[in-house]
Amino acid sequence: MMPRWKGKGLQAKANADPMSKIVSQLQSSLIQFETRGLLSSCSVLVEVDAELADLLNRSCFGRPRITAQEDKQWFQLDMEEAFYLCFSLKCLKVIGEDGSIKSNEELWDYFKSKKLVFPVSYKVYSHLRHKNWVVRSGLQYGVDFVAYRHHPALVHSEYAVLALSEGDNDLNGRLRVWSDVHCTVRLCGSVAKTLLTVIVNSNNQGANSPSCLEHYTVEQRTITRWNPERSREDQTGPKNGTKKSTKHNDLAGTVKDKV
Amino acid sequence: MATHIAPLRKLWALHVLDGNDIHLSLKELYEKLSNGKSGCYWELFEVYKHLRSLGYVVGRHGIPWSVKGQHIKSGTCSLEGSQESNEMLEMEPKDENSVIELFNNMQITDVSPAFNVYLPNSKFRKSSPGDPSFVLYISRCSPPSRVEIEALERKHGAIPFKFCHVENGRVSFFSFAKTELPVLP
Repeated sequence: MMPRWKGKGLQAKANADPMSKIVSQLQSSLIQFETRGLLSSCSVLVEVDAELADLLNRSCFGRPRITAQEDKQWFQLDMEEAFYLCFSLKCLKVIGEDGSIKSNEELWDYFKSKKLVFPVSYKVYSHLRHKNWVVRSGLQYGVDFVAYRHHPALVHSEYAVLALSEGDNDLNGRLRVWSDVHCTVRLCGSVAKTLLTVIVNSNNQGANSPSCLEHYTVEQRTITRWNPERSREDQTGPKNGTKKSTKHNDLAGTVKDKV
Repeated sequence: MATHIAPLRKLWALHVLDGNDIHLSLKELYEKLSNGKSGCYWELFEVYKHLRSLGYVVGRHGIPWSVKGQHIKSGTCSLEGSQESNEMLEMEPKDENSVIELFNNMQITDVSPAFNVYLPNSKFRKSSPGDPSFVLYISRCSPPSRVEIEALERKHGAIPFKFCHVENGRVSFFSFAKTELPVLP
């Protein structure tokens, strides 16, 4: 599936402003201002000035919270986002209830206690972020993440991502039955995304500490539905599309749902 | 292509002969399919019929093609489609007699592929079929695991494969393709 840019000139705009550079600027600024996050249930809250707020927005970390405060803004980070800034980019420190700074191991344990599959979902999140993809929650599409080539204002997300595991950390129950495959592929198709499974193998390293992560391996697979009615010509032939839905040839869906 | 599908289905006909050259009625055919050794002939038949009626060339994996001629011989099965060429494609598995025999001893397993499939306009020749467009596995219970898919990739090399799921009269095809998202700037 080709990337779908949201307007003319936006691809050029994205090329001129690479995500890796924006994230790198965010990292430097967070370190410079010695930013501290507050641990709050399943989120981390950070208070930032205008410059950092702009960088967080442009790099797609967190969501701004509406407050009456004028000079500062508050952002709410998901667990994966917060841990990425703390552990991978080493530019954020998180303070717990007692006012002390949490170590990476403490944060890891804490997030695992909130989300059993956190090690797997974090591995997938960080794997894609390292490649400079923008990764956001995919909950509204029934998946774990959605991946964008650049800022969501410029481009539609191409991939609906499921973080799956195998090996000793086999906690994810998705795509174990055909009805789930049908359901997920159909939903992804109706919002013009390709279903991407990212399968994490812990290689028997367990999940006791974040240092286990570097031994995890990752494999990516797309799952797509093939419609024999549309593919009858060789590649050089004209496309034979049909909108008629019959029992045997139900398309995955080409109509975009309003989400 | 919606307007083409209806005529195809009307004209598509299945002529089945059993070992004694006696024409089987549809009822007899269905009975035989249901009594298959592993009870899976029905699904195999559904998939086969589905693809053939759309003009695909479908062969049993592992069985060589042989060129027959225009007759309906005893011991062969033929399925006519109403393609422009009106080609009668016959298949003669090594030692088989009817479409039941076509599926004889076939078990649907996730490790042994069911069919080799060629695109309808792929200039298929029985004398030199070439590599299939893809190999088709028919799934019984659950979607394949990553380990199973990797094993199949090693087995088939450059030839793609797909999984087919049959349920409730619905035939669906899925591809599980390895990919690697590029590193972006």
